[in-house]
Amino acid sequence: MSRVKGMTGGRIADRLAGGLRTLPRTLGEALRAVPGILREDLWTVARDPLPRMRWLGRLPHGHVVLFAVLMAWLSMAQFQEPARPGTSQDPVPLIGLVVLEALAVQLALTRPIPAWWLSTAMLLVTALGVDDRVPAYVLYPWNYGQLALHTAVLLLLALRVRPRIAAEALLLTLLVGVVTAALATRPHTDGLDEAVVSFTTAVVVGAALRGRRVARTRLVEQEELTAEERARRTLLEERNRIARELHDVVAHHMSVISIQAQVAPHLAENPSDELRENLAGIRQNAVEALAELRRVLGVLRSEDALADGARHAPQPTLDRLDELVGTVRGTGITILTDVTGERRALPPGVELSAFRIVQEALSNVMRHAPGAEARVELGYRRHGLTVRVVNTTPDRPAPPSPGAGHGLLGMRERAAMLGGELTTGPTPDGGYEVIAVLPTDHPVPSAAVPETAEDPV
Amino acid sequence: MTTIRVLIADDQMMVRQGFTVLLNAEPDMEVVGQAVDGADAIAQVAELAPDVVLMDIRMPGVGGIEATRRLTEAADTTVKILVLTTFDLDEYVYEALRAGASGFLLKDASADELAHAVRVVAAGDALLAPNITKRLIGEFSRVTAAAPRGPLRARAGDLTERETEVLTLIAQGLSNAEIAARLVVAEQTVKTHVSRILFKLGLRDRTQAAVFAYETGLVRPSAF
Repeated sequence: MSRVKGMTGGRIADRLAGGLRTLPRTLGEALRAVPGILREDLWTVARDPLPRMRWLGRLPHGHVVLFAVLMAWLSMAQFQEPARPGTSQDPVPLIGLVVLEALAVQLALTRPIPAWWLSTAMLLVTALGVDDRVPAYVLYPWNYGQLALHTAVLLLLALRVRPRIAAEALLLTLLVGVVTAALATRPHTDGLDEAVVSFTTAVVVGAALRGRRVARTRLVEQEELTAEERARRTLLEERNRIARELHDVVAHHMSVISIQAQVAPHLAENPSDELRENLAGIRQNAVEALAELRRVLGVLRSEDALADGARHAPQPTLDRLDELVGTVRGTGITILTDVTGERRALPPGVELSAFRIVQEALSNVMRHAPGAEARVELGYRRHGLTVRVVNTTPDRPAPPSPGAGHGLLGMRERAAMLGGELTTGPTPDGGYEVIAVLPTDHPVPSAAVPETAEDPV
Repeated sequence: MTTIRVLIADDQMMVRQGFTVLLNAEPDMEVVGQAVDGADAIAQVAELAPDVVLMDIRMPGVGGIEATRRLTEAADTTVKILVLTTFDLDEYVYEALRAGASGFLLKDASADELAHAVRVVAAGDALLAPNITKRLIGEFSRVTAAAPRGPLRARAGDLTERETEVLTLIAQGLSNAEIAARLVVAEQTVKTHVSRILFKLGLRDRTQAAVFAYETGLVRPSAF
């Protein structure tokens, strides 16, 4: 290669020459690659069963079997035709071949590529075998029955495999047809045109149907992926919200500690230096913890946190349950409340979670069960709290709401965070219930709580 | 020395009692009442007429911001509101300042900081924590400045050149003494200017003046 640097014309010529040189090389390479590609594509016995149809079930499978039997019979009948009037044919060796061809169609239901090999081999063998005995008016190399059977095999193949493989199978089949026709020792009625039309149609139709199915499957997969992604994002947002609320509660406690540590020396008469030092240490630690908490809250704070205006009011506890129930009642829903066990102050995390679970469950009732009555039950147990929100059958269908499922997720997260459980589901009478069991880490000493008979927790 | 009468409004008993102990320990202060929420605070202010209210932002029912707005909108009160917050100096604190609060304080402030804040707010001749306040207002006035402020600008036109100059210095967090030194005038003169500015603009204290200056664009938030 002569390469003249700095000369544009030279460089272009250079590139052209290179292009011309590469062209035949690529063609040659392509041709040499053909056997490899064919082996890779068609040399397989892999199972690839025809899927059950959504609407038709296994009906198509049955029809394929019926079709194969009929066509085999037709094919057989054609071979029975005497080659010369007055003579009769001996069908025995042919029967086996025709049956194998029909079986290839059955095989195509589960293993399309081996079935195609079998069918093609049978086409070749039968054609060579009957060359000297079929009457001149019967189609050669293949009669109508054979054409129909192989068309079925190609169609079943094209339904399952990539279009390239189907096209390869089609071309190889036609090649076999041309070769057998060329090898014929006496004149026949030419059936190659029929073969080309019939086989090509089968492959084109099959490939088109497969393309549609693949596209639909991809779409479904994509939708599932999107839904999964959305669910994951919702979960993270929920966790973020829960974390924000809890940090918020902790920060409030910390600030009270910092104040109390400052106040304590004022409450003692002549506090010792050690006491002062100790309290100063407590305060110092509280202030540092607060600084860290503020940083964490800064990270957790999202746009929606400011929008909901929640930070004007303290994080709710169960003390505000009546207020909540009152607000929901204001929307026209009948709500009964029922508290069992000794009502007492629970850890802030439990109070907050219980409140939010009731809030979320009631908001679900409003959204999904219009006209239903709701019941809120709190059960104070020795080691925890049970929350149950149940509603009766709605008296009219709920309007579709895009936020469905979001609330359940949050409730579940809140219960799980406390080591508790949340169960939800329809009730026998057509309503819906949400039950949360929230353990408190510090069981109340049994002396402090009057034991009740139904309190085995 | 006159005693500063303080009312504490917070929904947490521990916080109320703690601040009461800390403030009563100061010779020039007296806690005259404790309120458990915003509505209670409004009622007690009417009854006790304190000089300063320590107001928690987050309270059930009527929150601190709403209570501040109602207390400072009443024409006949001179009560100063010092807002308490657990969290950072965020939009809510700024909202409280817009609502009429004279200053703000983190709840975990030291006893000295607390006493200082009450004194500064009661005296009214300087911004509390000028640098932080300035930054806070600068940051959040941009967020809220989207609201049309035509009438405010018009009112700014009533100020004389000197008064505008003084307003700018107030917004930058300077005290009366510092403004006097900067303009080479007597402190009394500055006080007169400040009173006239507040009167002309219908504002109740210099914190409000600072908010006004930022929101009308008289002062631009600098890079910090």
